[in-house]
Amino acid sequence: MVSTFEKYEAIDMFSEWNPKTDPIINLINLKKWFPISEQSILFSRVVAQIKAVDGVDLFLNKGETLGLVGESGCGKSTTARVAVKLEEPTEGAVYFKGIDIFQPMTREEELAIKRQLQMVFQDPYSSLNPRRMVLDLIREPFDIHFPDMTYEEKESRVLEILAKVGLEDYHALRYPHEFSGGQRQRIGIARALAIHPEVVLLDEPVSALDVSVQAQILNLLHDLQVEFNLTYMFIAHDLSVIKHVSDRVAVMYLGKIMEMSPTGELFRKTAHPYSVSLLSAIPRPDPRIKKDRIILEGDVPSPINPPSGCPFHPRCYKAQEICSKVTPNLEELEAGHFVACHFPEI
Amino acid sequence: MKMAKPILDVQDIYTYFYTESGVVEALDGVSFDVNQGEPVGIVGESGCGKTVTAKSTLRILDKNGKTVSGKIIYKGIDLLELPDLQMRKIRGKEIAMIFQDPMTSLNPIFKIDDQMTEVIALHRDCSKKEALEYAIEALEQVGIPDPATRINDYPHQFSGGQRQRVFIARALALQPSLLIADEPTTALDVTIQAQILELIKEMQRKHGLAMMLITHNLGVVAETTKRVHIFYGGRVVESGPTEDIFIDPKHPYTRALFDSIPSLEKDKHRLATIPGLVPRLINPPKGCRFHPRCKFATEICMRERPPDVLIDKQKGRRVQCHHFEELDLHVDESTIKERSQIIEEA
Ligand SMILES: Nc1ncnc2c1ncn2[C@@H]1O[C@H](COP(=O)(O)OP(=O)(O)OP(=O)(O)O)[C@@H](O)[C@H]1O
Ligand SMILES: Nc1ncnc2c1ncn2[C@@H]1O[C@H](COP(=O)(O)OP(=O)(O)OP(=O)(O)O)[C@@H](O)[C@H]1O
Ligand code: SF4
Ligand code: SF4
Ligand SMILES: [Mg+2]
Ligand SMILES: [Mg+2]
Repeated sequence: MVSTFEKYEAIDMFSEWNPKTDPIINLINLKKWFPISEQSILFSRVVAQIKAVDGVDLFLNKGETLGLVGESGCGKSTTARVAVKLEEPTEGAVYFKGIDIFQPMTREEELAIKRQLQMVFQDPYSSLNPRRMVLDLIREPFDIHFPDMTYEEKESRVLEILAKVGLEDYHALRYPHEFSGGQRQRIGIARALAIHPEVVLLDEPVSALDVSVQAQILNLLHDLQVEFNLTYMFIAHDLSVIKHVSDRVAVMYLGKIMEMSPTGELFRKTAHPYSVSLLSAIPRPDPRIKKDRIILEGDVPSPINPPSGCPFHPRCYKAQEICSKVTPNLEELEAGHFVACHFPEI
Repeated sequence: MKMAKPILDVQDIYTYFYTESGVVEALDGVSFDVNQGEPVGIVGESGCGKTVTAKSTLRILDKNGKTVSGKIIYKGIDLLELPDLQMRKIRGKEIAMIFQDPMTSLNPIFKIDDQMTEVIALHRDCSKKEALEYAIEALEQVGIPDPATRINDYPHQFSGGQRQRVFIARALALQPSLLIADEPTTALDVTIQAQILELIKEMQRKHGLAMMLITHNLGVVAETTKRVHIFYGGRVVESGPTEDIFIDPKHPYTRALFDSIPSLEKDKHRLATIPGLVPRLINPPKGCRFHPRCKFATEICMRERPPDVLIDKQKGRRVQCHHFEELDLHVDESTIKERSQIIEEA
């Protein structure tokens, strides 16, 4: 199957990239701000900025799963949308196989990048066009990326990927509203995987699903990763899901990465006070255990006027004076363990 | 253990919805009880009838729905027989409910003041001025800063977590004997969820409230409740003390549900799944409603509804399964550890 695809691989633009030593995706000081403007008859004026992503440093290695975790509104989806070139960054860069994806490039190069970078969207209910049959929904990426492919070949590939995600041929002729939440998520996954991407950004792929269906989808994603040698960025706010799927985890808060490390390390040697509080907040499914948890005071602050210095300082149990003045950098404290904190727990 | 007295005793209720595509048998002979001062969990997947149970109890079902038979005994009185006028007094004053979505449960066009003092004055039979004092006191108790000022704000001026606090304050200011909390934290972030759960637990203990906590989060159940009723497809398939249900489940669905929570397992990437989907309640499966997904199902399961067997009167332990006596679903110690390991390592 892969060999038939290769004949469509015309350009070789990634010759500089060494998969053994270089990350497949590298986000450097990435910022995405959304302006809020005030409209009047004559002019419109930017009055504030929503700092959705505010200096993210993050990388993915080939073949791994990086879990991205954080509370609602901290900028996870926005980070992903910029990383797959659905939106332009305000500042910073996204490198895919060593190439800055926002540098000027030909349409062929652009398509070659987009074909290898796919995203499964957060909401299985609204991300599929309700007026298109499943067949057309999944065929669309072929129309864009492989215009020369015959209709028959496209169709057979659609049926092939549907089978892979556990749906049947007759499902191809149905519309999204005829499916359950779990089935719609399968359609979204089929759509992203149909054209054999290398990297898939999964934005909360199981959050809207019941635990029993959630388990089915997590198993499916794992099987597909092994079969196609995929690299995943897996976004979730549920830490037990993140722990289950990830090789490495990045913890995000108010547009910035607070901590990034191998999964076991993050849970065993939690370094950042926000990660500590987040882990402590999870209710654990054992009725015999009484636990003391760190309950964070206050709400998640607004990304419009984020706190000065360390964005976590108003809620942090360890905050000192310096925390509100100087923004801590994300630093590698131990091999592979990155932390942005003046007073880490390790 | 002294025998507790039920404050709410739901006996064999059937609630149906009449729709264009047929009759939805949402509750199909549901029986359970809640004791005085006791926090009880109602657990099950989406669509199994949790909210409908709460709404049947308060008689606030949608227009197309009706509880067609059964008894709902509250403090010795059958609520289903009560005239509308008296039922109105039960709501709020006797039984208060916190809804799934905090935004829909507060009226967006009225100030918090208007939404609290009037009901308080009505139910506690006091002057408006006293009611205002009670309201401010309640807001203070749930941790709204500067309550005397904030009471003049509109719901949208509060964050999601704060709205849920306001709603809890309103429910508690009426001094009910039974609190029904329908997924009070599902829409909230983990750190805010921990705040609200802590608050609910504290209020429950302090006021000696009986509580019906509806959720599908097993961690929340383990930490908050003393007894659990497991719902599946409009029926209560198992009831008992929380600890027994977690460690020694008798119903195949309970065990399967708990096994599908992600945790650290030996084969990291495989989760136990329940095959198939949550059942539809128009023309539901015959016999045991779980049989299409149950690995222990035999011929009798497809044909006959399993009887409701009381296996331990003292503990209130019940189960509805034809084969529970032959099955050993006991959860071993290592599995329980694995389930909650996420915190242990932290
Ligand atoms: N197109 C947009 N215009 C203005 N603001 C936006 C836009 N998209 C996102 N935001 C804001 O940016 C912030 C980050 O949003 P984002 O969707 O990335 O968060 P998230 O971490 O994915 O949250 P969730 O867990 O709720 O999905 C939020 O405050 C959001 O309101
Ligand atoms: N007004 C209605 N008309 C028709 N069917 C309804 C109506 N309200 C509820 N139902 C059906 O009754 C069943 C039980 O619904 P209920 O809201 O109690 O589920 P739930 O257990 O609270 O689920 P969730 O966890 O998703 O909130 C579902 O199949 C639902 O579709
Ligand atoms: S930098 Fe200071 S405020 Fe921020 S997490 Fe570290 S200790 Fe807390
Ligand atoms: S009655 Fe039969 S189908 Fe139902 S849970 Fe028991 S064994 Fe399974
Ligand atoms: Mg998002
Ligand atoms: Mg519900």
